[in-house]
Amino acid sequence: MNSADEAHFRVQAPNSLPRATAVIALDADAQAVIERLGRTGRPQATLLSATSPDGLLDLAGRARNLREEVDRADLVVLVAGPGGRAHAAPAIGEACSRRRVMTTGFVVAATAAPEREVSQTLAQLRPWSLMVVIAGDDSYIDDMLTALRA
Amino acid sequence: MLRKEQNDLLTRTGPETPMGRMFRRYWMPALLAGELPENDCPPVRVKLLSERLVAFRDTNGRYGLIDEYCAHRGVSLWFARNEECGLRCSYHGWKYDVTGQCIDVPSEPEASGFAKKIKLRSYPLVERGGVLWTYMGPPDTEPPLPEWEFITVPAKQTFTSKRFQESNWLQAMEGGIDSSHVSWLHRGDLNSDPLFKGARGNQYNLSDARPVFEVAESPGGLYIGARRNAEGGHYYWRITQWVMPSFTMIAPRGNHSVHGHFWIPIDDEHCWAWSYDYHPVRELTDAELAAMRDGKGIHVRYVPGTFRPLANSDNDYLIDRAGQKAGRTFSGVEGIAMQDASLQESMGPIVDRTRENLVSTDNGIIMARHRLLRALKAFTDSSVVPPGIDPQHQKVRSAAIVLPPDVPFTEGARDVLIARPDVAPASV
Repeated sequence: MNSADEAHFRVQAPNSLPRATAVIALDADAQAVIERLGRTGRPQATLLSATSPDGLLDLAGRARNLREEVDRADLVVLVAGPGGRAHAAPAIGEACSRRRVMTTGFVVAATAAPEREVSQTLAQLRPWSLMVVIAGDDSYIDDMLTALRA
Repeated sequence: MLRKEQNDLLTRTGPETPMGRMFRRYWMPALLAGELPENDCPPVRVKLLSERLVAFRDTNGRYGLIDEYCAHRGVSLWFARNEECGLRCSYHGWKYDVTGQCIDVPSEPEASGFAKKIKLRSYPLVERGGVLWTYMGPPDTEPPLPEWEFITVPAKQTFTSKRFQESNWLQAMEGGIDSSHVSWLHRGDLNSDPLFKGARGNQYNLSDARPVFEVAESPGGLYIGARRNAEGGHYYWRITQWVMPSFTMIAPRGNHSVHGHFWIPIDDEHCWAWSYDYHPVRELTDAELAAMRDGKGIHVRYVPGTFRPLANSDNDYLIDRAGQKAGRTFSGVEGIAMQDASLQESMGPIVDRTRENLVSTDNGIIMARHRLLRALKAFTDSSVVPPGIDPQHQKVRSAAIVLPPDVPFTEGARDVLIARPDVAPASV
C-alpha cells in the first residue's frame, strides 16, 4: 500500500488546539531578531523585550506583566546574543519554573562571536532552559516557531 | 510541523528531485562486501534513490553497478550469467562490463561495432571497510572516498549490518537523532542488552528520564547533546553526531563499541538502515561479534536469505504484550533496532508532518530539517557543495562525558568529538 492509499484511511480531524508561545528578547542582538519576526507576522507568538529583570515591553512599546505573560504561555523562548547580557533570564526562568511552563533558550548571532562570549550567555540561559539551541543562522528561529506551531 | 511542500521536498529522492540530486553528491553505502563474495559470483539486485540497478563482481575482481535492465528487450540482468569479465544476458546473450558498456551482441557481426553503441548507466562501486560504496552523481563532482572512522579502522575492530526498513528515509533518520526517546522506548534494554549493559552512564540515563538538550551546528551537521545530572553537581553529557544527509553516531556506553547508522533511500517509501559497531582502539571480541550477528544492540535477526527483519510488519513485530506489561520491554517489541523500526514504520510510508505536534525537545529534529532545507536551497540555487561531503566532516565521534556545570559541551568535549587514530573514545 503506498502513502497515498495509506493516508486515505487516516483521521483528518484537527488533533491539537492552538498554542501560546512567548518569545522574549533579552538583549540588543535578540531585539533585532524579534523585530524581524514582528515584521514577518507571527500571530500565535507574543513578541516581547526584557527591559529589566522583571520588566517587559511588547513591540509597540507597551509594558507587559511578566507573570501574566507566563501564565498564558505554553512555551517561553528566551532569546539572547553572545556576551552574557541575558540578565533577565533568572527572573523569567523562575516565573516559568513556578508555573511549569516549558522554556527554550536560543542563542543568536553565535557563529561569528568568540566562544567565550557564547559561553557567557549559555551560562545564563542553561539553568532556566529545558532546551538550548545555538544556531549558526538566525533564520532558524522562524523554522523553529513554525515547527512548534507558534 | 512541516508544510506539505517542505515535506515533499525532503522525502522525495528520485532522480529528478532536488533531494535526490543532493543525495547523489555523496558516497553512499550500497551493499555489504559479503554480498559479492568472490569473482564471477551471482549478481545482486540493488535499488537506490528509486533506481533499479544490478551489482556484480567480474572475473578480475572489479565491481560494477549498472542499470538492471538489458538495453535489448528490457530483461533483468539479475538473471544474467556472470562470466569472463561481464554480465551476459540470459535472453539473447548481450554482454556488459562493469562500466555498463556492451561488449558483445552475438547476433551482430563483431566487425560492425554495434556493441560499442550500447551502454547502460553505471555508477562506481568501491569497497571500503567491508562496505561497497557508490557515487551516483555527475562524474565531474565525484568527491574523495568516504573517511568514516568505522570503515578506516582494521577489519577486526568493526562490524556492519543492514536491514530493510519499510518507511521513508527521513522519519528513520529523525529517529536516530531523537535522543529523548531512549529513556522510554529502550529503557528495558540498557541494562540487559549485552552490547549496552554495565556502563556507568546507563544509571544516569535511567535515573533521569527528563534530560535537558542542547543542539549546536557542527561543520557537517549537528551536535545533539543530552544533559543529565551526575555526581557533585556535574553533568553527564551524551553527544550524538549527525552528519548530512543521513549519518548518525550515537554516544557510546562504557567500553562497549561505538555505533550508529546510515539511512539510505531505496525509494520514497523504503530505506536501508545501515548499522555499524566499531571500537577505535581495540578488536571486537568474539562475544561482541556473536551478539551483533545474533541481532543484539542495534542489529537485527533476519528472515533467512534476506535483509528483512524477522520481526516485521507482517507479524506485528512479534509483539509480546506480557513482556510489555511486566516491564521487560516498554513497547512489547524485542531489540533496540526493531523497537525503533516498528514505531517508525507505524507512522506510515511517508509520515504526514503537517499533522505532527512537535515540542521543544524536538529541536534536534527541527534543526536537522532546517539544515537540510538550507543546504538544499544553496545547492539548488547556487551549486554550493552540501555539508558532509568533505572527508573532514566525516572524521567525527560521538561522546559520553561528565563535565563541570559551567562548561559548554561543545567546548569541554571539543577534542573528543573528532576521530583520532589510536585514541580511545570518550565514554562513561
